Amino acid sequence: MTPNNPLVLTPIFFPLFAAALCVFFAHFRRVQRIIGVSAAILAWLGSLSILALNWVDGLQLYRLGGYMPPYGIVLAPDMLSAIFTAMASTVVMGGAIYILGCRDKCVSYPAFMPLYLCMAAGLHGAFYTGDIFTLFVFQELMIMSSVVLVGISDNRLGVEAAIKYLLISAMGSLFLLLGIGAIYASFGTLTLADIARLLEGGERPLLAQTAAVMLMCAFLLKSAVFPFHFWQPDFHTAAPTPVHAVLSSVVVKVGVYGLIRLTMLMFIAEAPLVRTLLLVLGIIGIFFGSLGALRTYDAKRMLAYSTFGQIGFILLGIGWGTPLALIGAIVYAVNHAFIKSSLLMITGALASRMPNKSAKLIDIGGAGHSFKLMGGLYLLGGLALAGVPPMNGFISKLAIIRGGIDAQSWVLLGLAVAAGVITLMYVVRTWQHVFQSSPDEHLHLKPYGDSLIAPVMLVGLCVLFGLFAVPVVEAATIAVTRLNDPQSYIRAVLGG
Amino acid sequence: MNVFFALATGLMFAIGVFQLLRRDMIKAAMGFYILFTAINLFFFAVGAFNGQVSAYAGNLSEGTPSDPVVQALILTAIVISFGSYAILLGLIATSARRYKTADLDTLDQLKG
Repeated sequence: MTPNNPLVLTPIFFPLFAAALCVFFAHFRRVQRIIGVSAAILAWLGSLSILALNWVDGLQLYRLGGYMPPYGIVLAPDMLSAIFTAMASTVVMGGAIYILGCRDKCVSYPAFMPLYLCMAAGLHGAFYTGDIFTLFVFQELMIMSSVVLVGISDNRLGVEAAIKYLLISAMGSLFLLLGIGAIYASFGTLTLADIARLLEGGERPLLAQTAAVMLMCAFLLKSAVFPFHFWQPDFHTAAPTPVHAVLSSVVVKVGVYGLIRLTMLMFIAEAPLVRTLLLVLGIIGIFFGSLGALRTYDAKRMLAYSTFGQIGFILLGIGWGTPLALIGAIVYAVNHAFIKSSLLMITGALASRMPNKSAKLIDIGGAGHSFKLMGGLYLLGGLALAGVPPMNGFISKLAIIRGGIDAQSWVLLGLAVAAGVITLMYVVRTWQHVFQSSPDEHLHLKPYGDSLIAPVMLVGLCVLFGLFAVPVVEAATIAVTRLNDPQSYIRAVLGG
Repeated sequence: MNVFFALATGLMFAIGVFQLLRRDMIKAAMGFYILFTAINLFFFAVGAFNGQVSAYAGNLSEGTPSDPVVQALILTAIVISFGSYAILLGLIATSARRYKTADLDTLDQLKG
């Protein structure tokens, strides 16, 4: 373990630096794109190297400015953060490659690439930081850039969605900030490890428990869980395709990550109560999301609803809270990111060929009839989403079910498996409607559309992780083993 | 002094939430800013009354220094809230131009 590993900075520094650089080259679109994609690739390489270092060497640290942790800000990616960041940077890189072949008008705006890179930097930073206020700052960076990205979208309703989301998420950020203030008032520290140490020492002021409630509300809102979900389908559907892919697959995972940290590191004594709540919200989310996806009118919106259902499965894993269930939750989170982003990119690529770029089911019925590659990819991704054997979705469903058996929670397990069938239903139905039925005579598709390189890569990852699932499961196992030992995390961060 | 700050924070929270729930977008934006200011006041109350002299290295005057972390947090929070507020106002202006409305109730084209 090295006290100061500069590699930790790479996934945050490269996108942020490239964003600044892109502003200088505002009117050279080609230069901007080269800078953006290379920054995304560098960030990806950096996050992979941090994952590898974590695997063999344990927690990596970077003390900003060289100050010791309880006083200075520290970036402390442990195995959990490293897995989530590797997942996020892979999808961000996929999105950046999609931007290269994207024909949306908003992609050519000078502000698009810098905003996209700022969102990526905020995302990676929120996973890496070991300081709760820095988590807030990175999260705000991510949210503000994504709000503007949706606001400038080609979709006419983008501005409406952005206003709604900004007002709702501002409320969430307020609660996060209030919770941070309450924690600072009761403990006088902002480092996660130090808070965990003090909480473990038996110190339990009333204000800190209030803070736990506020933090939980904020994280639930960020990942669009049941009572706070209203913004999610609107906001995600109105986004440009590459942004939608990142939002719907990895940005919602920030809340999941926060909830794991909350129950496994900080408020361990309150965790049983939190977990019970998460189980209830998770099962509601699964059914609400799956049924919503079943009856919605838009292919993109269907996938946004489906995200809502899939987050429910992850919450079940966190809620059961046994090591096996947590492994399931992490594996599910990683696999879902690749599946959902690839499906969204394929839908976006098809919609880009439509005359009015709509993805409404009534318009795109049969539109994909002549695109064999696209149909095949969509089927592969859809089967992965539903959890059919050769794909990675099967592995994640299996891991969650194994966790449920381990936790002996038979009723919830039965409900979750039953809801999995609904997933199969809406995915196959949409695939048939879009790619198998014969097209309408009046349908005139554009001869060109978004390129399929990025979705091919991501579907490839889905197949790869379905056939060789051992590395993912093993990484998740290591992460959970280390999460179950908060003492070593605290010791490693606080030094000594 | 703490009691006054608690009352002021509570009052501002009430006004902020009330304004945020108004139909008019401009008023909602105002409420948003008032809420952030209420939080800043709360942060201020957390660390303001513990010291008598300002906290910087090399300050040789007598007495306990005040807590510098809270001040840094407030500065960051002000910057962030200001940025969000500016973006929100920009979006409202665009909405007024694009949909010809600044009323949240008539802005309901996203459904389903």
